[in-house]
Amino acid sequence: MPDILARLLDVLVVALHVLIFPGLLFAAVGGLLLAGIDRKVLAHMQRRIGPPIVQPFYDFFKLMGKETIIPAAARPGIYKAAPIIGLVSLSLMMLFFPIFGHSAAFGGTADLIVILYLLTIPAVALIIGGSASGSPFAGVGISREMVVMLGYELPLVMVLLAVAKKVGGSALVFSLQGISDWQLTNGCLLFQWSMIPAALAFLLIIPAEVGTQPFDVAEAETEICEGPLIEYSGAPLAIFKLNTAIKMFVMTALFSVLFLGDINLGQYWLLGGLVLFVISAVLTILCMTFIHAFTARLKIEHLFKFYWTVVAGLALVSLVLVWFGL
Amino acid sequence: MSNFYVHFPVISVMGLFLAAFLVEIFGNKNKHVRYAISLIACLGAAAMTFYLIVPVFFRGEVISYWMGGWKPEGGYAFGIGYEIDGLGLFFGLLTALTFLMSVLFSRRYMERDGHLGHYYTLFLMLAGSVLGLVFTGDVFNLFIMIEIMTFASVALTAFRHGKHPEALEGAFKYLVLGSIGSSLFLLGVALLYLTTHTLNMAQIAALISSKGMQPTTLLAFGTMLAGLAVKSFVVPFHTPAADAYATAPASVSTLFSGMVNKAGIYGIIRLTYILFRTMDKESLMLLLSILGALTMFVGVTMALAQHDFKRLLAFHSISQIGYVLMAVGLGTNLGLYGGLFHAMNHTLFKGLLFLTAGAVYYATGTTNLDKLGGLAKRMPRTTACFLVGAFAISGIPPFNGFASKWIIYQAAYEKANLSGNFIYVIITVTALLVSVMTLASFIKVTGAVFFGQAPATLEKTKEVPFGMQLPMFIMSALCIACGLFYNQTIVYVVNPAVNAVTNPAKYVDTMMGEGYAFANGIGPQPTTFTSVSIWDPVFWLLLFVIVTCAVTLVAVSGARERGPVSLPEKTDSKHATFFGCEESLHSHVGGSDLFWGFKKDLKGYFKVMGNLHSGKTNDYALWVVIGVTLITLFTFVFLS
Amino acid sequence: MILINYIVAICLIALGLYVMCAKRELIKIVIGMGIMDYGINMLIVSIGFHENGTAPIYTLSDIINGNLSFFVDPIPQALTLTSIVIGACVDAMALSLVIMLKRRYKTTDADEIRRLNG
Repeated sequence: MPDILARLLDVLVVALHVLIFPGLLFAAVGGLLLAGIDRKVLAHMQRRIGPPIVQPFYDFFKLMGKETIIPAAARPGIYKAAPIIGLVSLSLMMLFFPIFGHSAAFGGTADLIVILYLLTIPAVALIIGGSASGSPFAGVGISREMVVMLGYELPLVMVLLAVAKKVGGSALVFSLQGISDWQLTNGCLLFQWSMIPAALAFLLIIPAEVGTQPFDVAEAETEICEGPLIEYSGAPLAIFKLNTAIKMFVMTALFSVLFLGDINLGQYWLLGGLVLFVISAVLTILCMTFIHAFTARLKIEHLFKFYWTVVAGLALVSLVLVWFGL
Repeated sequence: MSNFYVHFPVISVMGLFLAAFLVEIFGNKNKHVRYAISLIACLGAAAMTFYLIVPVFFRGEVISYWMGGWKPEGGYAFGIGYEIDGLGLFFGLLTALTFLMSVLFSRRYMERDGHLGHYYTLFLMLAGSVLGLVFTGDVFNLFIMIEIMTFASVALTAFRHGKHPEALEGAFKYLVLGSIGSSLFLLGVALLYLTTHTLNMAQIAALISSKGMQPTTLLAFGTMLAGLAVKSFVVPFHTPAADAYATAPASVSTLFSGMVNKAGIYGIIRLTYILFRTMDKESLMLLLSILGALTMFVGVTMALAQHDFKRLLAFHSISQIGYVLMAVGLGTNLGLYGGLFHAMNHTLFKGLLFLTAGAVYYATGTTNLDKLGGLAKRMPRTTACFLVGAFAISGIPPFNGFASKWIIYQAAYEKANLSGNFIYVIITVTALLVSVMTLASFIKVTGAVFFGQAPATLEKTKEVPFGMQLPMFIMSALCIACGLFYNQTIVYVVNPAVNAVTNPAKYVDTMMGEGYAFANGIGPQPTTFTSVSIWDPVFWLLLFVIVTCAVTLVAVSGARERGPVSLPEKTDSKHATFFGCEESLHSHVGGSDLFWGFKKDLKGYFKVMGNLHSGKTNDYALWVVIGVTLITLFTFVFLS
Repeated sequence: MILINYIVAICLIALGLYVMCAKRELIKIVIGMGIMDYGINMLIVSIGFHENGTAPIYTLSDIINGNLSFFVDPIPQALTLTSIVIGACVDAMALSLVIMLKRRYKTTDADEIRRLNG
């Protein structure tokens, strides 16, 4: 009997992790706050006052309360399920980050690749949901989203392989826990000079993954009316907006784990979450708000070329350097 | 009668061949008779093949059978022997599953065609030849089976020439290029006979091991490898595959991708790991891995440029075979696990995808991506099956494609690390990139065929009959099951095959008598599967379900504060799709218009590739000759 | 002289491949396939051939008296027979396809039979 109780307790703990910290709730609150900070700082840069930091929360709840209109061309099931699948995979991704002392259940030997694939699921959800709506604007948006994904995936792969090689040496390490453990003894990866190009490349990948200006070609409000989201309304739209916000958090958190190292503060895990959030905020301002403030949207072919030449080049430099033992 | 099952392999092969002729004799008039004969033959062969799991996979036996009881005498094998080890049975199971699904699908799918007696005859010939190919223990018999396979494949490719004259063209190219491949294989067999004076594979393995590689043996190896590469449609020999898969009926395309090109891969594994045991040479590993990487990249980029559903699938089939070859060519145990597992998964998901393409053709009469659209509402079950297949081939967790690709990436990168060769890093990056491109390409199909606006001509499309849905459901279920329980699949299905590959001693001993292998220098090398990870898909699925339930619960409980959901009604214009100022008729984004940003940046590459795939038989023959010459020269120069 | 057999066989194979790559007429391509087959058949027969060898047929008295002489290897000849039959089938199939192609495409020029491309 006690055995079953212990089992149940385990399940309960896991469920708490998934749903509250560092899973769904933490990610959602953090992401929305990050979005608020982004908007506030951007406004100040443009000499505006800007909305309050909690504005994304207001937006989210307002949208949740709106009527959900399902277009006649869409299949209701796919239309409603797509945003939820994206949300779930994003909040599952939070569990990989070593910010709490319970990572054994989630830290496999090769979770960099799992992360790489989990990262594609929100984009796929957006694409499937968007194409279910049947609008030509959505069609254009989907094709752009796909090309953006092709663009950043090549440098992302190279960055992850470079990190795995650098940390592992002769035995490759693919687990995030392993990567942050390595950095505990050897110092941050960011301060290894051979990894600097990779870190730069990763910083440039973040805005494309999240889809902020100048890399927001897929949603481009002013030309294709938010592309895949065009027919979305009400609660599903709210969840898609939430997904974008969480993605901001997940990507910046991934950077801090990959290049800054361990944030596991043992029993003070709540503090660890706070530290992670602060780092994420700084990174968000650095790589998304700044670039947003002084650039205009790229054309899709320019974006693709940029990622396959400049960013992939940076990542390749790191990969080659690491490979030759530097 | 304790080991009555030793007769099963030969009965299943012969049964299929016999049924082929019975169909021709009795089944040309009555459709029920011919289908009953075909179904019974396929079911029987499949059941016997599946029964062999018990002795071969569970008890680790190797089954041998001498035709006419002509056992080896004086240390020389005279008769034709059938021998089934873990590797042969692994591919035999894939073959059995494929033809079983395809024959189930064929009943309704082919009902509108004439001359169905010939169709089932050829179908059973093809099934029997591939099964014989993987079960045989004799090199010349292998060649015969390859020839029957090519012959039946070519005829089946041309089967729908009445409606599609392109089918004839595809068949002719397949026949010309295929005959180069089989002729080369025969040349290799002849040269091999020159040095070993035997045709039995077990004895050849032992003799080559004891005598060492002589120049003639090396030449034989080169030509046989090149011949089998032609048969498994590796770049630059992939062109007939694209043409044949696209023009053959979908049930036949399923056979092609599920067993015909697997037969080539099986041959390559048998040749390199067991017959010549050359997989310890770094240069051969490099050759196979590079060929594999090239195949997957060329396949997937060509797929991005296609306008036809089945031709696109054909190029993906080529691309996935590249993964298998690359992984197998790494020469490591992990690579073997990944490669064989991926071969199995490829049979499942690509078979499924070809079946859905067939269902689309059955329902709409076309496979042109630019003419299709909006089928999701009209064919919901086919759409669901297609999505399973598409996610599986793009490697989205938790489907089966993810599990095997994941092992392959690790294997490739670990190989890079072990050998210190930067080329393997490039191969790893290519493999990961190709996976994303596969996803992109399937998004294109999803958008162009199943979602979006339905053209006026497709307004009345109906879901396909249950007889066609059933095989699709079975394949989908297998795709999901193999992804969720991938560790169990590896332990119970892939592991025996890998053990057979790395342990040829038992293969030789069973055929030639105890101790023969050891006397010729083939020692036992036991291998065990070291679990690659702790990633537990079942656990993840559980989490996924928990979170989804939670989110749904929150959504439902907050329904009072939340806005109402209004379901689509035709009368209310708020449910209409927003088109801007365009007419809805002209605004469907066709499949070929997607990716123009990508295509514009790489238009140089696409132009070159388009020109290379000129469609001329001579050009393709030239590619094959050049490729074959290079492979033979490479093995001759670098393996000695 | 066995060497000349090998040289001729290799020449035939090369000639067959050349015809398949260079000739645009479909019938000629099929002929090329045939030539290549003949080259390989010749090679196989030559492999089993021994100079001054006899036919591999013995009577019981030969074996009892120890009258066994040097004989020609029979297996390659069996292989050749099979291979000739298969080659004939393949050629027949190819020619029938050419006839159908001629009917549907109104040509037998490989340069014009390229609807499946790209």
